Amino acid sequence: MIDELPAFTAASLLRRNLWLIRLRWYAVLGLFAGILGTIFLLPGYHDARTLGAVLLVLILSNIVYLYITRVSRHFTKERLVTLLTNQMTADLFLLSFLIYLTGGIESPLSFFYVFHIIIASIIFPGTRPYIYAGMAVLLYTTLLALELWLIIPHICFYPSIHVAGNIQIIVATWLIFLTTIFASAYLAKSVTDRHRKVRDQLENINRRLQEVNHSKVNFFRISSHEMKSPISTMISTLMVIRDVLGEEVDDRVLDMVDRSLRKGEETIKMLKDLSDLTYGSMQERQEFEQVNLCQIINDIVEDEKANAERKHISLTIRSSEKACQFTGDPQALRKIFLNLISNAVRYSNEDGEIDIEILDNESEVIISVKDNGMGIPLEEQKNIFQEFYRTPDARRSISDGTGLGLPIVQRLVELHQGRIELQSKVDEGSEFTVILPREEQK
Amino acid sequence: MSKKVLIIDDDFDLVEAMRVTLEAADFEVIDAQDGNKGLEKLRNEKPDLVLLDVMMAQIDEGFHVAYQIRNDESIKDTPIVILTAVGTQTGFHFDPSKDEDFLPVDAYLEKPVNPKKLVDVVRQHVKL
Repeated sequence: MIDELPAFTAASLLRRNLWLIRLRWYAVLGLFAGILGTIFLLPGYHDARTLGAVLLVLILSNIVYLYITRVSRHFTKERLVTLLTNQMTADLFLLSFLIYLTGGIESPLSFFYVFHIIIASIIFPGTRPYIYAGMAVLLYTTLLALELWLIIPHICFYPSIHVAGNIQIIVATWLIFLTTIFASAYLAKSVTDRHRKVRDQLENINRRLQEVNHSKVNFFRISSHEMKSPISTMISTLMVIRDVLGEEVDDRVLDMVDRSLRKGEETIKMLKDLSDLTYGSMQERQEFEQVNLCQIINDIVEDEKANAERKHISLTIRSSEKACQFTGDPQALRKIFLNLISNAVRYSNEDGEIDIEILDNESEVIISVKDNGMGIPLEEQKNIFQEFYRTPDARRSISDGTGLGLPIVQRLVELHQGRIELQSKVDEGSEFTVILPREEQK
Repeated sequence: MSKKVLIIDDDFDLVEAMRVTLEAADFEVIDAQDGNKGLEKLRNEKPDLVLLDVMMAQIDEGFHVAYQIRNDESIKDTPIVILTAVGTQTGFHFDPSKDEDFLPVDAYLEKPVNPKKLVDVVRQHVKL
């Protein structure tokens, strides 16, 4: 499982809280070293005592934070956010005070604002890091303004104005520079490391999911075949009873045989549909070939003519020469349009009209199948691509149907990186539009 | 004399259903449960047509049997009708009209086997 996902959850907030406290201990160490350095390197500096007070405040506050975090295991997300927000705001104020103590405008510690902003960006999503950035700017500006207008006295960090010739000042500044550089590297790396780790974990999980899916599909294909065989034999046997031995058996028995046959055939159709649903899932990349879409659709229309004529439905095809040429999987394409066209015939009223259009633009082939049948209510339209779903109207008008036709269509359209759209109004009809990108566009 | 049909299929119940159908249409029916036994009966009894299931112990056993029949001088003229549920879930798809080279058979019948179709196909292809 992913335990390091940078999600904005209570558990991850708690982890970040502990991380922030750990960082603050480093800051404590840094400040302690800094104070020692100031005492030795800058003997002209008179506020080392106040710096020590700041250090004390930092240590005490971190102990308090640690205590609160320890007891906050069951805090809600909101309370953890508040805890983090308070800490970071307090840190910004403390830092601003340190900057004041170390010379205001001349303080090299103003770099350290950057760390706080990076840390805020790591911890919080959204606009909150910008709020911290704004707060840092405001604090720094206020400090400079107060010094400028002599509201607070300026504290000299460097005792001499001859900075270039003063080895102590150079060493002090250089140490702060060193800290800044390495701390930035550490912070940036800790973010990217975590993201890399998460990415690796996601890749692993994704691979495992693909393997699971693969074996699921495989299991499915095998089991659907294993189920199909005995049912197929049952049907064959029942047909022999009906067609060959019919004279030897009672009419009531024949009627039962007939009904069992219908059930058996529905089951076979269901199993066929289920295995169609997995069609293409086994290959990484489908073997596509040049096909004549119009030919495929014409053949299907020819096959459906008998059913259409029984209900006096007219079937018309319009196509443009150029649109017929397409690169795809012929089996899959046949299944797509067989489902759509036979659905249109099945759910059309007597004397209905079905229009099939095959058009294209530069990058896509657009095939629409339009009927003037019962239509699909708006609230049902989102459901019809779900496996086994059949609208109440569909159930009423046609009793048999697996509810797998449209899911198969959608799956196979996706196999071609295409999409399917539906426009429908109750009692006016439905129009399914399949949009398939041409090979060179994929 | 009635024509002799050999059914090679490991599904005993399906063999029985086809036997009843073909005997009612005045054919003599013999059967074999796997490819090897089938080839043996082909050589010994010289049936006038063979009904061959594609998927027996191996997924394409029927195809191998078909090739062996065509490569054996003594039986290579036996008409072959393939019984298949192929095209639905085995992953390979074929059409005998297009794939004559691929599959040297005379006709194919889809399972479930419709008795009328079975008799029609057998009558159409049986050796005269």
